Amino acid sequence: MDNTQSRTVSFTMLAVRPETITAVLVLLATVVMMLAMKALNPTFGSMGQIAAILTTSIFLVIASYGQGLVILLGGIDLSIGVVMSIAGMIIAGLTNGSNEALVWAIPVTLLSCFAIGLVNGLGVAFLKVPPFIMTLAVATAAFGVALGVTAGSSQRTVAPALQLLMSAQICGIPIPVLLIVCFFAAGSLLQSRTAEGRKLYAIGSSIAAARIVGLPIEALTVAAYGVSGLCASLAGMLLAGYSSGATLDMGDPFLMPSIAAVVIGGASVTGGKGIYFGTFAGAIFLSALSTIITVLSLSQGWRNIIQGGIIIIALILQTKQWYLQKMANRRLTGQGLANRALSQTSKV
Amino acid sequence: MSSLGPILQATNVHKRYGATVALDEVSFSLYPGEVCGLLGENGAGKSTLVKILSGIVVPDAGQIVIDGRAYRPHNIIEARARGVSTAFQELSLIPTLSVAANLFLPRPKVNVIGLVTMRAIEEETETMLKEYGVSGVSPSTLVGDLSLGLRQRIEIVRAMLCRPRLLLLDEPTAAIADREWLFSLIDSFLAGGTAILYITHRLDEVRRLCKRCVILRNGKKVLDAALEGITDDQIFTNMAGRSVVEAYPVRESNIDEFAPPVLAAHQLSAAGVNDITFDLRRGEILGIAALEGQGQSSLFRALAGLERLKAGSIEVNGKPVRLRSPHTARDAGIVLVPEERKSEGIFNDLSTAANISIPIINQAARFNFIQTGKERQIVERAAALVDLNNRFLRPNINALSGGNQQKTILARSLLANAKCLLLFDPTRGVDVGTKHIIYQVIRNFAREGGAVFFFSTELDELVHLCDRSLVMYRNTIVAEVRKEELTPHLLLSLAAGHKIDADGTT
Amino acid sequence: MNQTSRDRRRPLPSSLFAALLYVVMFVIYSINAPSAITLLGITDLLNNTIVLAIAAAGLTLVILAAELDLSSVGVIAVSNVIVATVSTKIPAGPFVSLLLVCSVGLLVGLINGWLVAFLGLQSLACTLGTMIMCQGVALVILDAPGGEVAAFIMNRLTDTVFGIIPVAGVILAAVVSGWLLLRRTRLGIAIYAVGTDAVASHLTGINVKRTKLGVFGLAGIAYGLAGYMLSAQTGTGDPRVSNSFLLYVFAAVAIGGTSLGGGRGGVIGGVIGAGILTVMQKLLFAVGVADFYTNIFSGLIMVVAILFGNLSAILTLRQRVPLIRRPNREYSVH
Repeated sequence: MDNTQSRTVSFTMLAVRPETITAVLVLLATVVMMLAMKALNPTFGSMGQIAAILTTSIFLVIASYGQGLVILLGGIDLSIGVVMSIAGMIIAGLTNGSNEALVWAIPVTLLSCFAIGLVNGLGVAFLKVPPFIMTLAVATAAFGVALGVTAGSSQRTVAPALQLLMSAQICGIPIPVLLIVCFFAAGSLLQSRTAEGRKLYAIGSSIAAARIVGLPIEALTVAAYGVSGLCASLAGMLLAGYSSGATLDMGDPFLMPSIAAVVIGGASVTGGKGIYFGTFAGAIFLSALSTIITVLSLSQGWRNIIQGGIIIIALILQTKQWYLQKMANRRLTGQGLANRALSQTSKV
Repeated sequence: MSSLGPILQATNVHKRYGATVALDEVSFSLYPGEVCGLLGENGAGKSTLVKILSGIVVPDAGQIVIDGRAYRPHNIIEARARGVSTAFQELSLIPTLSVAANLFLPRPKVNVIGLVTMRAIEEETETMLKEYGVSGVSPSTLVGDLSLGLRQRIEIVRAMLCRPRLLLLDEPTAAIADREWLFSLIDSFLAGGTAILYITHRLDEVRRLCKRCVILRNGKKVLDAALEGITDDQIFTNMAGRSVVEAYPVRESNIDEFAPPVLAAHQLSAAGVNDITFDLRRGEILGIAALEGQGQSSLFRALAGLERLKAGSIEVNGKPVRLRSPHTARDAGIVLVPEERKSEGIFNDLSTAANISIPIINQAARFNFIQTGKERQIVERAAALVDLNNRFLRPNINALSGGNQQKTILARSLLANAKCLLLFDPTRGVDVGTKHIIYQVIRNFAREGGAVFFFSTELDELVHLCDRSLVMYRNTIVAEVRKEELTPHLLLSLAAGHKIDADGTT
Repeated sequence: MNQTSRDRRRPLPSSLFAALLYVVMFVIYSINAPSAITLLGITDLLNNTIVLAIAAAGLTLVILAAELDLSSVGVIAVSNVIVATVSTKIPAGPFVSLLLVCSVGLLVGLINGWLVAFLGLQSLACTLGTMIMCQGVALVILDAPGGEVAAFIMNRLTDTVFGIIPVAGVILAAVVSGWLLLRRTRLGIAIYAVGTDAVASHLTGINVKRTKLGVFGLAGIAYGLAGYMLSAQTGTGDPRVSNSFLLYVFAAVAIGGTSLGGGRGGVIGGVIGAGILTVMQKLLFAVGVADFYTNIFSGLIMVVAILFGNLSAILTLRQRVPLIRRPNREYSVH
């Protein structure tokens, strides 16, 4: 038994595993993309612009975390866009341009969106409704309620404090950038280093095995969708602060990218695989891409084509990533496997 | 044996999967009119050979010649076209389609405009079922509504329908209680100058049907000879690489007669289980013998908390419990090692270590954060219990062999103070070395006061490991056999539904 | 010893309950809107139903093969804008644009099928991607609602034949007949086989990949046709996709008794399901329920549809079925 290998039996998910490599590659691709853009358009890429890109990436960074948790379980959350809009509308409506109500408006917003997430989770866990249908249904219904309540009127003004949060700087660094770093740290720890996070991976990997081992599948499912709602509401509030207002469709442009970020980051849509670092990298990539598309003055149509294409390309590349993982595993298990029965053969 | 040339000639067939060699330059021939047995332990290469001959897998090297012409099929259709047909162990029937539709898949007869002529097919099916002696089945019945034994018969009939030159029968009697039907079918089939490759691990069938047998071990052919001159022990030694006596650890019983039974069932009824009563004591290894699909799977699931009871009760340590979920069962100390390793046993995307630690992961966590050092300790301790090398702990579990994966699942089960292990065919798909270790683990567990409830399709295991064995047939317990009377032959008869008279004859 | 098969009576058609439900709903509807039973009313109802019905028919095929397809709304949008932009500008506009949109639908479907069956991508995520791309293409062709649909399409296709049979009805009948034929072909049987157990199908010799390619392709054609009919109904082009419509398509399939897990159900159920949803919407309107409530209903309906679908499956098969499950079998398909 090799002692060094025994010592390096490290369980850190953040160690150099293929998933980390994917994440780094995505960040690299982001840099390359930006450099290419700069070559085309020398005025692109100023520090201010980069700061802006990072700032605006916060919405996707937060929203795709929740999406990532749900996808880790093997589900999907199609209500994120609507929940973001609703959160924005609520915080704008409650604060109405002043800071006084913030203290209780924020918890109310968070709680209501958490509740929406819980509804998703309950439907998926107990009614066994397929996730994409459940979340789509809840999104449609919630949208209808919001539409009715607000009677369609959109523009609201948000508490100045929120607007300040999104625009101010500490030591020259925009606050949102600091928030992103903190969120990344917290999110990664929660997903990869906690016991409950580990259970999410297990459930996503094999729900039948999870059941036999006695994991709390229903509870964790409800929790994951709840957290997703929570993240969406956080992102929505920040978005309202950034836009100094809220509309009922402001969250829509973030739904598909939230899924795309997770997929690009190397997570499996069937669950059980993927780390937040990857999703995070995907979110940064997509935000940069979005800015570039705007700078290039591409129409919404082209934006969609590119987004859709990226999802598909990411999915295709994933099949290559798993091949990398297999090779890494083979090296780690060493060569003495001559008596290894085949994993592909039947029982006889 | 006829004077005609061989139907099948395989030369140096070689197949590897990654680092493992599944078939190592295997050569053999099959002659018209003969039934040749193909024997071997799990992982010996039998199934790879079957897959190659059936056209599902393409070999890396080697030649196969059928009737003098090169044989390189890329799918089942091409194989059938050359006269090779297989009755698979994992039945290839579609449960939601009718018997008639299944028999004619994938190319049911069509009329001029391309529509399948169902009525004509059903009529033809009716005739054929009679011809093959399958009674009590209507052509329009959905396959899913048939018993497992009937389904296996349909699978076999389907393979024979296209009148192949070479018929491959892969464990054809796993579920059939009336084996004579198959044996007489084989006799009439051979009259046409065809050959049969009969894959099984049941020696008595091989002796009954075959004149010759080929034995594979670790991908190599180790024996190719007439059965007349060989003893059972020689066969076994060739298959397992060791003699019978060595394979099983020494038996000493340590059953606690005085404490209340660890697990007891009273008139238990659930989906697929009918009025089951038994008890299991500390230190006891209780076996279950049964043909496929006789309710043993449902019984295990009910005991593990996966199925709701319709009637009856379960007691743990003398106290009745309601096993509402596997979680409750685990709390009560009952742990299941399930049937389907790949889909129900392992967490395919997790590392081996994570697979082991998952049930008690909270114990290795402080404020919910996993302490890697503590986890490593726990995992290494468990891995040592099953002789799993530490270097397997970090990689993904899907990189491990079937045997190592099974060890992982066992290691996981031994954590968290399991008092009663429910093992469902734990040595399925597992190599010889690992089997030995699993037997040791079972023995050790019982010796230290645990209880084991153990289903196996290898009757030898039940005979050599268990203190007592139950026999299940048609969803209920039909017999209980004490250690002294345990023989494979007895278990097999009981499992097939034969009754024992008072004087011990069947 | 006796091993007889439990020769059950044939299970009832999975769409039976949906059909009963439809009758009930239609009766309630006609009570509230007496004009419903007139020729005009029926034509109107069929016109409202047909887009959803054809889309549901296409989706059913994919779902029967145990895959998912989100691209319906994308293809419908593309077809719609194509018709709105070219049907008045080229000779034989209505006919050529029909060919065009069906080809586009087929192309998208084949791409989906290739990605899922041959590259092994997961169908939900993959068709989500193609859906977004299709919407992008629609926006590029027509960036805002507008365009002009040829008069022939708008008028004749929403009208009646020989003055008594609604054209929409004829088209629906054609689609259903197409299904009845398909169901009895080798491909049709293969679809059910693959949806039930892809591994067993492979062992049987069925070409699983080609079957999946086929269902996606056929579904694509159906979506193209649905988009064409949408142009007939609305007379204009709209590049936006509607999330609630996507929901409705799935709801229609589920209500009709098709299992979302594959292997069970049929196109007829999907068509009836579309009918149920349309009648329900018209009923709500006739009763005076405010428009925005229908959004909430959409959501609820969907969830209820799934539960209803499960229920009807249990009842029509007349047993608590776990069909023989052999999950993750050892022989791999790829």
